[in-house]
Amino acid sequence: MQDIKKVTVKVPQAYLDFINQIFEIEKKAYNLKEENSIQRNINKMKGIMEEEFFKGSSTIGLTYHNPLGENYTDTRTDCEATISGTSVENLKIVEVIKPIVYYSYKDSDKVLKVIVQPAVVIVQSINP
Amino acid sequence: MENTINFGIDLGTTNSAIAKFIKGEVIIFSNPQDYGRNTLPSVVSYKKDKIIVGNKAKEFLEKDPKSVVGVFKRKMGTAESFKIKSINESKTPIELSAQVLKELKTFVNTGDILDAVVVTIPASFDTIQSNATKEAGIQAGFKQVVLLQEPIAASLAYANMKKERELKDGQWLVYDLGGGTFDVALIQIKDGEMKVLDHEGDNFLGGADFDQMIVEKFLIPKICEEYNFDNLEDEMKSASGKFNAKYYVLLRRAEEAKITLSAKTSAEIVVDGFEDENGNEVDMEITITRSEFNDLIKSNIDGTIDMIKKILTRNSLKPSDLQFNLMVGGSTYIPYVRFRVEEVLQIPVNCEIDPTTAVAIGAAYYAATKPKELEKSTEKKQTSISIKTSYNKASKEKDELFSARITGKTDGLSYRITRQDGGFDSGLKKLTERISEDLPLVDGAFNFFSFIVYDNQNNIIETDIEPIGINSGFGISGQPIPEDICLEVDDYDNPGKTRLVLVFQKNSVLPLRKQFTFPLNKGLIKGNADDSLIINVVEGSHLSIPESNKPIAFLRIDGKMIKRDISKGSDLEITISITESRDVNISAYLNMADQEFKQLFNPKQRNTDIDYLKEQVEDLSEKLDLEIEEATEKEDFETASALSKLKKEMETVSEETEGLTSDDVTDKRYQLEDKKRKIAQEIDSATKNKRIQQVKAHYFETKDECEKMLDENGNDHERKTFNDIVSQESAFFATNSPLKIQEKSDELYSIISRIRWRTPEFLVGIFKWCRDNQTRMNDQPQAKSLVDAGVFAIESRNWERLAEINSGLLNILPRGAEKEATTRIGFGF
Repeated sequence: MQDIKKVTVKVPQAYLDFINQIFEIEKKAYNLKEENSIQRNINKMKGIMEEEFFKGSSTIGLTYHNPLGENYTDTRTDCEATISGTSVENLKIVEVIKPIVYYSYKDSDKVLKVIVQPAVVIVQSINP
Repeated sequence: MENTINFGIDLGTTNSAIAKFIKGEVIIFSNPQDYGRNTLPSVVSYKKDKIIVGNKAKEFLEKDPKSVVGVFKRKMGTAESFKIKSINESKTPIELSAQVLKELKTFVNTGDILDAVVVTIPASFDTIQSNATKEAGIQAGFKQVVLLQEPIAASLAYANMKKERELKDGQWLVYDLGGGTFDVALIQIKDGEMKVLDHEGDNFLGGADFDQMIVEKFLIPKICEEYNFDNLEDEMKSASGKFNAKYYVLLRRAEEAKITLSAKTSAEIVVDGFEDENGNEVDMEITITRSEFNDLIKSNIDGTIDMIKKILTRNSLKPSDLQFNLMVGGSTYIPYVRFRVEEVLQIPVNCEIDPTTAVAIGAAYYAATKPKELEKSTEKKQTSISIKTSYNKASKEKDELFSARITGKTDGLSYRITRQDGGFDSGLKKLTERISEDLPLVDGAFNFFSFIVYDNQNNIIETDIEPIGINSGFGISGQPIPEDICLEVDDYDNPGKTRLVLVFQKNSVLPLRKQFTFPLNKGLIKGNADDSLIINVVEGSHLSIPESNKPIAFLRIDGKMIKRDISKGSDLEITISITESRDVNISAYLNMADQEFKQLFNPKQRNTDIDYLKEQVEDLSEKLDLEIEEATEKEDFETASALSKLKKEMETVSEETEGLTSDDVTDKRYQLEDKKRKIAQEIDSATKNKRIQQVKAHYFETKDECEKMLDENGNDHERKTFNDIVSQESAFFATNSPLKIQEKSDELYSIISRIRWRTPEFLVGIFKWCRDNQTRMNDQPQAKSLVDAGVFAIESRNWERLAEINSGLLNILPRGAEKEATTRIGFGF
């Protein structure tokens, strides 16, 4: 029989709130079309939460992923979706309200990830 | 085997939950597919090849009603069935409820065999509806199903929470306002018997209606006041409307605001990301106050109060005849609901139990009193299923095809694949001889999947399958680097020297990327070519001296390249990355100038900066002279002679390097660089013993002192840190690295500092020294007040306060010139 360690992680809500804010800034900076100078600060903040938040433990850190534009099916438990439009075929993620947040850690030299916040998304069919 | 049922299930119209009574306490099982939530949406979705229950099914409920069914509880006990288009079959409410119950079984992680359960039913259920619920339980594989009315379950949860198993005779209300339904029941307890006397309800009222009201009656009018829309509400609410996606975004934000308003008096809702008829970008932050929200929901809440009044009238009761009104259901978190119900009815509301899980908890308490009426024959199911799998164990793809061949009887069995991080769930699928599945992978990590086989009642069947593990991390067929990759920095412990910082360790697998941020230890003046920062990336052990490693990338930023003056202390961000084909990318970003310098270094061409080579050769030559002098003084003739042999070679290299012009195009610079590196390596090895002796001696001195201080004033944590360091002694001595040993001495020294910093004599000594230097301090009034406070702290023997005062005083001391560090590189450690 299989033996997969199920890891349950509780990350302080303040960390998640902080990450969601970084994500919001990143979305806004992207629309500004400036010379990526703001993006640099965002990357720096992302680097800090990935490398510094849990320094000294076996944890690697927190990362987030923006699933905008990706396909959506009912097997994706990494997103909480609301379907807009009329069709449920060929769904794509058209709006991301919150990103997927991963908590990474090391277990016998393997990098493993656990989702600590599923994305909150709006999906829509790409069928005409 | 346990003798009582112990398991309780709240089989709700919108959400369900399962709980277990264990040794006097009830635990609620969390939904393994839904990030620790305790509830399962009572929604079932059928696809050609699979069944999904819960959140994922709920997402499709509104838009795909032909394949997804919810709120079927309302049809329990009727002859109605739901036609499911995707499988071309009809499903009865009993079958659908059985699916929910089977899914709840998968929440249980205690290893129990679930054969008996208490299931709750609404107070309004008649005999046929109740029997239908029982049948659903039997179909889900329970051999014994005991029913319990929901308001009684909630009351039991309350009674147990209060540790009053025997409630006093009397009457109360249970007010249950959930996500989509409302129920209220009048409960009576008489001679120890609890029963539902009367009930009322509204199947179409709940929290979701409140979110909708915020959007439609509050946000949309506000947006239309500021912007020009012809028919915003229709465009949002119509499935084919151009703002339909935005409507759902607003519903989500409205829900968040509603939750915020339970704790705060106002909440902000951001409305952005679309344009009005005139092409103006909508960008608003709308504040909704608690009283505005209360006005929106007032008529709905008053409607629930009218239902209670009807119950009171029918039963000839006055509000004062009731002990309390027990609040159940997530929407009773709303302060106005509690306030308004109490204000109008004058019956005290009781909010002491968790409104979302109370019914399941009460059911479990009840289950703990009900004996099991089953034969004790519950051996584990044995099957002879054997599974052979096939998939790539490492992949850089987004999905990886998994296939399996099953031998043995698969009739009536199903399987489910879930990803360990919680991001993928295949749903329950029929098991056949051959199966295949696209497994989505999370990039940069090891992806584990579990493959579980179930029988037709969702009991787990043992199989011989191994865990499915697919590495999507770096290093798939990647090549390791043969040596450390290091960055040269100023060495703050050894003024005048530089040292190496490890960037990538030997054997790390390509591609690699790392970022560092350093505060600059010197400023740069715009236009001045003499001011420069040096980014020197070298290959070789990070424990060696910088000159002995091979340069692989070099970048010099001087005053002529910058847009403005750069101050000392501002940040420099260095990003170093190496591709699989060994291209080294360096990016240096000066925060203050918002300026980035990037360069790509190709592995085929070597990078040797002539000016920097000259500086290094000059330094190395000085270093060699010093080492010879020192060895001779100490009468270490063996080392002195080895070094002297290098002297001549060094002189030649110095001369030839001096003769190079900055734009020399020949290979000379590379030859000289090689020679310099060899000399440096030889100096390093000839003097290594001496340096190791020195650092070892220093380590032992520090260790003795630390041990002494620990005996006198150390705490357990400090002793543990000390013992940890000492236990690694043989290991770090074996590295033969002066830097490594020095690192350990520093760790011991930091224990000493911590202990000292709470020793009265030391604190008084520091304070006296600060007081003697008071006139030099930056902020004289503050210095005076701190010194006065320090005198008082000493008199009152308040050592913690004295420590704080000392820190304050040290902070306002000007930095001593003696602390001047090397600034050759421009940043350091």
